[in-house]
Amino acid sequence: MISAIYNFALTTGANRVIRGARIEHVCGDPTLSPEKDYAFGMRIVTTALEALTIAVPGPTLFDPMAPGKTQEAAHAS
Amino acid sequence: MSGPLRVVHYVNQFFGGIGGEEKANVGVSVKTGAVGPGRALEAALGEGARVEATIVCGDNFASDQAEDAVRAISAVLDRLKPDVLVAGPAFASGRYGLACALACKTARQRGVAAITAMHPDNPGVASARRDTYIVPTGTATTSMPAALAALAPLALRLGRGERLGPAEVEGYIGSGVRRVHDRGRPGYERALDMLLDKLHGRPYRSEVPYAAPERVTPAPPIADLSRARIAMVTTGGLVRKGNPDKQVSANAVRYHRHTVAELESLSPREWEAYHAGYFNHIVNSNPNYILPLSFLRDLERQGRVGKVHEHIYALPGVSTPVAVSMGHGRSIAEDLKSGGVEGALLVAT
Repeated sequence: MISAIYNFALTTGANRVIRGARIEHVCGDPTLSPEKDYAFGMRIVTTALEALTIAVPGPTLFDPMAPGKTQEAAHAS
Repeated sequence: MSGPLRVVHYVNQFFGGIGGEEKANVGVSVKTGAVGPGRALEAALGEGARVEATIVCGDNFASDQAEDAVRAISAVLDRLKPDVLVAGPAFASGRYGLACALACKTARQRGVAAITAMHPDNPGVASARRDTYIVPTGTATTSMPAALAALAPLALRLGRGERLGPAEVEGYIGSGVRRVHDRGRPGYERALDMLLDKLHGRPYRSEVPYAAPERVTPAPPIADLSRARIAMVTTGGLVRKGNPDKQVSANAVRYHRHTVAELESLSPREWEAYHAGYFNHIVNSNPNYILPLSFLRDLERQGRVGKVHEHIYALPGVSTPVAVSMGHGRSIAEDLKSGGVEGALLVAT
């Protein structure tokens, strides 16, 4: 699940949660240039796809903007 | 009271002493007096009640030939005219739980008070809790004594024609039905007392029942994305431009499936958002923000994704009761599975 309100997704039991940009534009950011907007959206989508290839024990956050890597798995407590 | 309360007990073929799974197809029969757990039930009911008869029915029969079972149980109840029917306990046995729920429903329709007991996760609870008194039990028969001890006093009161109080007071599983009643003190006083109890570490009880979200076992990972069929679902209220399908903007009772087999991306000339929970104008300028078709097409061309599924699923995910949402989710998931989809991106606004 790609969601800007990712904490809500985690606490309600979604297992693979990808942090989206904002509620009004989950997969991208119109305040960026068209190229950067597209690159940002692509990063979110590819993070989501990679999440589908990773085994998770339960609700897990994947953050496309985590520094230095394409995904960051953090188990919800 | 002129005499002891007259109780009829409903059990399945196993507790009725007929046999196990191989006898699950046997029809309805009646035994005089208490049988099996009925004896312990009679002891728990005490002097004031007697188990007149035991209705025994195979779990498969009650499920596969429900109409015949209802007819036979009705005939027994009309003949014996008991004060109360007790069914089970069924513990975690699903078919037995459903059969107990059926027996109780049948009794009530004949004007006979009824009560059953089973584990809260038994499917019989979901099917009957709204109109049947169900006492919670453990999953296994080892919890029989506790189950009967909790069930018996309620059965006695029902048999005397009493109406039970709220579930939280009486100890049966809440029916989900709300009744207006006076708690005696205004809400702000109760809320402040609750807050003080919380701050002092004292026990308190919320008046708003908390339903823990369902835990779903995570789907296993996809082994090879470059061969996988990937679908897209959105709760962002995506509709075709002008909303020709007449989707609502909140509290959706249906979702819509659209075909995107011919599309490279979602054009704002053909798609828009209709969703009461957020400002839609940004999505209306680029619907791919809530349904990332343009990105997936690029990845498909690059061979990083096997195939973009030809159908997308859309609804506004706002103000929808959890039970309705679960129905939508199940239905979409079944459709995805039958379409050979291995993974889905759900964009939630």
